[in-house]
Amino acid sequence: MDVKGYFVSDIPRRTFLEKTMKGGLVVAAGPTLLSLLESCTPAGTAGAGVEMDPDLLNRIIARALSQGGEFAEVYGEHRISRSILMEESRFKSAEFGVSQGAGVRVISGDKTGYAYAEEITEEALMRAADVASTIARGSEVVEPVSVGAPSARETFGSVEVPLEQIADDRRLEVMERANQAALDYDSRIAMASVSYYDEIRARTLANSEGTYLSDSQPLLFFIVQALGVGNGTRHMGRERLSRHSGFEMFDEVTPEEVAETCARESIAMLEAKDAPAGRMDVVMQNGWGGVLVHEAVGHPLEADNIAREIGAFTGKMGQKVASDVFTMVDDGSIPNMRGTINWDDEGTQTRRNVLIENGVLQGYMTDILSAKQLGLERTGNGRRESFRYFPIPRMTNTFIDRGDSEPVDILASTRSGLYVQSLSGGSVNPITGEFNFTCREAYLIEDGRKTTPVKGATLVGNCMEVVSSVDAVGNDLAFGPGICGKGQAAEVSAGQPTVRIRGINVGGSRA
Amino acid sequence: MQHENLTQELVERCLSRGAQSAEVFLDTRRNLSIEVRNGELETIQESSSHGVGFRVFRENKMGFSHSNDLSDASLDEAIRSAVDFAGHMTADEHNVLPDETGMTEVEGLFDPDLSGVDMDTKIALAREAEDLALSDARITKSGGAGYGESEVSVFLANSNGLAKNYRASGCSFGVSVVAEKGDQRSSGGESCSRRFFADLVSPEEVAEEAARSAYEMLDPQMVSTQRAPVIFDPDVARSLLGGILGAINGERVLQGASFLAGRVGEKVAVDNLTIIDDGTRSRGMASSPFDGEGVPTQRRTIIDAGVLRGFMYNTRVAARAGVESTGNASRGGFSSLPGIGPHAFYVEAGDMDPGDIIAATPNGLYLKSVTGYGINPVSGNFSGGAQGFWIENGRLAFPVKGLTIASTAEEMLNGIDMLGNDLDLNRTLTAPTFRIREMQIGGV
Repeated sequence: MDVKGYFVSDIPRRTFLEKTMKGGLVVAAGPTLLSLLESCTPAGTAGAGVEMDPDLLNRIIARALSQGGEFAEVYGEHRISRSILMEESRFKSAEFGVSQGAGVRVISGDKTGYAYAEEITEEALMRAADVASTIARGSEVVEPVSVGAPSARETFGSVEVPLEQIADDRRLEVMERANQAALDYDSRIAMASVSYYDEIRARTLANSEGTYLSDSQPLLFFIVQALGVGNGTRHMGRERLSRHSGFEMFDEVTPEEVAETCARESIAMLEAKDAPAGRMDVVMQNGWGGVLVHEAVGHPLEADNIAREIGAFTGKMGQKVASDVFTMVDDGSIPNMRGTINWDDEGTQTRRNVLIENGVLQGYMTDILSAKQLGLERTGNGRRESFRYFPIPRMTNTFIDRGDSEPVDILASTRSGLYVQSLSGGSVNPITGEFNFTCREAYLIEDGRKTTPVKGATLVGNCMEVVSSVDAVGNDLAFGPGICGKGQAAEVSAGQPTVRIRGINVGGSRA
Repeated sequence: MQHENLTQELVERCLSRGAQSAEVFLDTRRNLSIEVRNGELETIQESSSHGVGFRVFRENKMGFSHSNDLSDASLDEAIRSAVDFAGHMTADEHNVLPDETGMTEVEGLFDPDLSGVDMDTKIALAREAEDLALSDARITKSGGAGYGESEVSVFLANSNGLAKNYRASGCSFGVSVVAEKGDQRSSGGESCSRRFFADLVSPEEVAEEAARSAYEMLDPQMVSTQRAPVIFDPDVARSLLGGILGAINGERVLQGASFLAGRVGEKVAVDNLTIIDDGTRSRGMASSPFDGEGVPTQRRTIIDAGVLRGFMYNTRVAARAGVESTGNASRGGFSSLPGIGPHAFYVEAGDMDPGDIIAATPNGLYLKSVTGYGINPVSGNFSGGAQGFWIENGRLAFPVKGLTIASTAEEMLNGIDMLGNDLDLNRTLTAPTFRIREMQIGGV
């Protein structure tokens, strides 16, 4: 098997649909909730979720630890999703699903056992506990702390217009508006594609430390693509909008704005010339360009590979790893953002974690297992795609923190190079730190000015070099939404102010 | 077969709940995944699951829903949701389901002995691969070894009278390792996937390749930015084939979002290039008797001696294009709508020994790894990160990392001037070693 490549994408539509459906243990809505589930309250109110009987949870945890092991957990999940596709001005397909299941995890030393059940019955969960417990066979038996009533936790989001109060017509309406705005933008827009996705994900978590939590969180994801045709070429532009919020998202950023941003890119790139090849200075516009640090630095700072002593930043805590102007943060508590989560998928409260401060390595992102292995705090980064997966260290909203340069000055002081306005996505080898990402929209920089658009080029480098080569950081921090893949998918944001990187290898087709 | 009857009953139920036509896709799965690190078991995950997807049509409008609860009440609820949701869609006369046209006979998709293989044997396979890879003195750390297996049964029925099923199995194991030298760190890995447990290659073979792929990239050098020939190792065939796949997707072609749109019958590549899509190969990892909506799979020539012969279609897109489905409806499982995708998609073997291709190249890049998206299926542009070996005087001289390569699909397809005889059909998206006459390489 290849070393796991970790990637982030700004989500091509097909992938997006696959991701959203992947592993969807989906049951019909409404009456399918089993009697064990005392309630499944739709989102909108903090603390609502899949509540399970504490006595049952205690019995499952005890069973999971019956052969040994120091930690056991039950994670229950219920997800209602809607996915609609409009393409070529037609509503092509609509998908509806409710998925539900629960997983049992046992940790014994460095070992993890995991099994899940689709039916949330005592019998099925006990069977899962038995399977998960085999990993701990023969180790010391630890007495679990019993859970009582679910505890209250802070929530990092507000909902004005709950998704469950939205009629399907309103979903279709925002899609139609985006489609029309894209087509109206320019006669060279030949086609638009609009994907709408929403879900309400309710979670319940109980573990042998006595933690018992329940919540639910809505998610909206809106993607517009537009095909520009002209000048003997084609370009598919893309723009995305995603938040954990209610339907008010579309009042704050209108479907028209999303569509116009996308169509503008499609038209601008019809004039693109061949990109240059070789090493050059790169200025990255604020926003989703933060995928650079997500890949290049974020993945290598996830603590699982550090605990295994194979990660690129192993043993570098407290050392100077980046330039003085470089500060990087992962923060899962920013209200309503796509990477935000009230508590991570193993019950740890999310928070602002400064990973690199003024160039000095300050922290890794941990989950329960890696925090234990490294003797570090839990940072709230233990996440999972669904109940089909056990949690691993993942990013949330990851960004280069605001600097003090004016973005216009950064550009003006760059004599020549590449101005990257937006990126598609990229990947990294977390062991060697070698990364790549692909430009969606880029321009030449000539005499401190953004000039000719150039075709999508790949940027490559090594994480250690790139963070040392950032020499200017703007004051215009912004974010973009993405899907991060690391064997399982996670919703993330990546962000940055306008930054300049001195000397990065650009894969253009022109010498 | 209980599930077979169930799918047909559910089709009837969809019709009685307001659908004018309907398809029911049901699958059941069993999965096992084991990870080992430094000789110790690290994780075990086991699961079995099932679910059903309903594709329903009302006045040529399509709705879809899925459920993993096969109780009557929840199935009813899923059907109702799909029928309701369909009402909101745009009518399309091409929203049709396939008729029953039988199945392709494909041998060796299911290993009846797989589940009976002892758990300890499976763990030992991963452990042994790791142990052997670590026994190479140049290898300093393990990135982990693993074993995984799955069994799936698919049941499909629709209101045109189509009803069929098959089952398949798969198993794999592999290891990833790290080679270190001073401050340098290089990772590598290898795995093997087969339908049958007995067909898996030896742990020695996997371990040796994993170790080699890590240590051979130590002490890389940089080269200058230049145009030079590039030899593609079979490991990087995907970077050429992936973009072609996107461009021969029949739906993208109809939308004009493909660099190959409108070019059937034209010469799009050099004479020696033939590309096949094959869903019928015995024991093939990408083989099946029918596609994601029940159409028999085929072995098709997509590019024949440089001439583009056709695109890939599912039933709906084929109806719109006025052609027959090519058996390329792809489906990730019960929870996904049929899309369009390949089976085993590969470049036919040429007649050169791979060593002779290197020997015939005085100066150039032997490409072992490409990062990025490969060829853009819309524009045909290609750009990626590259690593491999630099060739001097017909020999692999030193490893190179951190390079970029760029070209266009047109230049690449018309620039293939040497084709190896080393095609391995145990891979599903592959090619023999081949050379492209010239590409832009970005270095220092």
